[in-house]
Amino acid sequence: MSPADGVPGAGGEAAGVGGLDAAEITLAFDQATVDLDALQRAAYAVAAEMTVDIRVCGADYACTLFPRMRDATDEELRHRFRTEVNDQILRARIAKETEPLRNLVFALAFSRTGLVDGEAEGPV
Amino acid sequence: MIKLERTATALPAHGWQLLPLRFHRLDADSIVLTNLVGEHVFVTPGELSAVVDGTCADQDLLARLRAAHLIQVPGETLPAELLAIKLRTRMRRLPDSTGLHIFVVTLRCEHTCRYCQVSRQSAAKNEFDMTEETARRALELAFRSPSPQLKIEFQGGEPLLNFPLIRWITAEANRMNSEHGKDLAFVIATNLVLLDEEILSFCAEEQIHISTSLDGPQDLHNGNRRRPGRDSWQQAVAGLRQVQERLGADRVSALMTTTQASLGRAGEIIDTYAGLGLRGVFLRPISPYGFALRSRGGANYDVGRWLEFYTDGLDRIVELNRQGVPMMEIYASIIAKKMLTNADPSYVDLTSPAGIGIGALVYNYDGDIYASDEGRMLAEMGDRTFRLGTVHGSSYADIMLSDALLNPLTESITLSAPMCATCAFEPYCGADPVFHHATMGDFTGHKALSAFCQRNMGATPWS
Repeated sequence: MSPADGVPGAGGEAAGVGGLDAAEITLAFDQATVDLDALQRAAYAVAAEMTVDIRVCGADYACTLFPRMRDATDEELRHRFRTEVNDQILRARIAKETEPLRNLVFALAFSRTGLVDGEAEGPV
Repeated sequence: MIKLERTATALPAHGWQLLPLRFHRLDADSIVLTNLVGEHVFVTPGELSAVVDGTCADQDLLARLRAAHLIQVPGETLPAELLAIKLRTRMRRLPDSTGLHIFVVTLRCEHTCRYCQVSRQSAAKNEFDMTEETARRALELAFRSPSPQLKIEFQGGEPLLNFPLIRWITAEANRMNSEHGKDLAFVIATNLVLLDEEILSFCAEEQIHISTSLDGPQDLHNGNRRRPGRDSWQQAVAGLRQVQERLGADRVSALMTTTQASLGRAGEIIDTYAGLGLRGVFLRPISPYGFALRSRGGANYDVGRWLEFYTDGLDRIVELNRQGVPMMEIYASIIAKKMLTNADPSYVDLTSPAGIGIGALVYNYDGDIYASDEGRMLAEMGDRTFRLGTVHGSSYADIMLSDALLNPLTESITLSAPMCATCAFEPYCGADPVFHHATMGDFTGHKALSAFCQRNMGATPWS
C-alpha cells in the first residue's frame, strides 16, 4: 500500500488508548510509521474544519478532533483528517526525494542574476 | 519525404526520478500535479501512487510527466536547466522593480460610494490636493526605480478634480524621461463624470489609458455609487462611449466591485459589459480595507458566496464566447497566464515575493509613501504599518530598505509559508501581506483560515 492510499498502521480508532473520553473523536497513529511533523501539518491544514489535540499515548500519537461546526459526521471527520495526514506523509516523501534537485534548480536559476552580494546593481 | 516517427524510449519500472512537484486533490478521482513553475498534469490517485512508487507502466502518462518536467530519467541535466530558466523568467521582475507608481493627486470626490475605501473629501477642500512640489519629489523617486517600464497611475478621490496637476505631472515625467529613456505610460482611474473635450484631447495626445468603475446594470451601479442626481451610471456610460470613440476601444477598461447587492447578478453584470463593447470584466470581491468595512459598505458576504458569484460569471462568459462574443474575466486570465506560460502578469496581489513596494508604490496627496494602495487605505483607518516614508525627506534607499517594506516581504514569501510551500497552486498564487495583516493581524496569515487562500483555492480550478 502506498502513502497515497493510506499508511499501514496509521489512523486507527483510538479504542483502548488509555485516558481518553469515549465520546471524543480520536484517532491513533503508530509512531513507528507516522511522523509528528505530518500530524502537525495536517492539523494546521484542517484548522478551518476542526482543531486537533495531539498527545503521545504509549506507542501511538492520539489525535483528538474538535469540529468547529457539527455539519459533518464523526466518521467524515476521521476520513478527512486521515486523508490529510496521508497527503502530508506523501508530500514529505516527495520533498525529501526531490530536495537535491530543487536546490539545484534554484541555484541555477539565481546564479548570474546580479542579485548576489558584490554583483548588485543599484536600486539603492 | 521526411517521416517523423515517435522514438520515445519506454521507461522501465523505477526508470525515472521525481522532479520537485506538489499535488492537490481536485476530487476523489482527480489530482493535479504541478512543478516549480506551474506546469501541470492531471492524474488519478492510483497513478500518483504508481509514479511515486516507481511502478507506473503507463508510458503515455510517463511521457506527459516527463514533458511537463515532473519526472526525469536519472542522469539527465536538461530538465533542471530548463526549470531554472523558466523560474528565472518568472522572477525577472524582481531586479526590475518598481513598475507602477500611483499618484493620489487629490482626496476630493463628488461621489459618495458605499464601499469607498478612502476618506474622500468634499469637492471644495483644496487642502487635500497634491502640490507640484510633492509631485516633483515623487517623480524623482519614481525615476529611481530600475524598472525599464514606468506606469504612472493617477488616482483619488476623483483625480480629474485636480486635472491641472495631472497635466503638470505628465509634462514633467515626459521631460525627465528624455534623460532616462524608460517605457513610460499613464493611466487615469476616473469615474468619468468630469470628462470633457479638453481632457479627452489631452488623453489622446498623451496616449493615456482610462480605467473606470462600472458595477454592472444601472440600478446596481447607482445603488453602490451615489452622487447628486443619482446618475453615476449614465455619466460613466456616456464617458465610456466618448473615450471609446475618441481614444479607441482598447484604451479604456472598467472595474467592478462585488457588493452584497451584486450576488446573483453576475450574468447581468457581464452582459452589461458586453453591451458596452468592453471585452474584459474583473469580478473583484470587495476589499476588506478602510471605509469599505462599515456596515453599509456592502462587504457582508463570505468567500463561499463570492465563489458562487464568480463561477456563475465564468459560466456566462464561456456561454458568450461560444456565441462569438469576445469577453474574458481578468482574474481568471491572470491565473491562466500563470498556468500556461512562464510570463509574470505582474498582478500585485498574485505574486510572491509580494508585489508591495517592488511592484507598486503609492504617493499620497500629502507626500506620504505607501507600499500599496491597500496600505494607504489601512492608513486612512489609522493603521500606518505600510507607510514607507515621505517624499519630503525619505531617500529611495530609506523607502526600499525600510522595515515597513522588507518585513512583510520576507515574512510572507509563499515558498516558505506554512501550507503555501506544499500547495500545488503556489505557482499561480501570491503572498498578500497587506490582506493578511488587515484580516488576521500578521503578514503571513493562517492559510487554512484565510479568505485570500479560500478564494484562490476555489477560483484556481475554474480558471
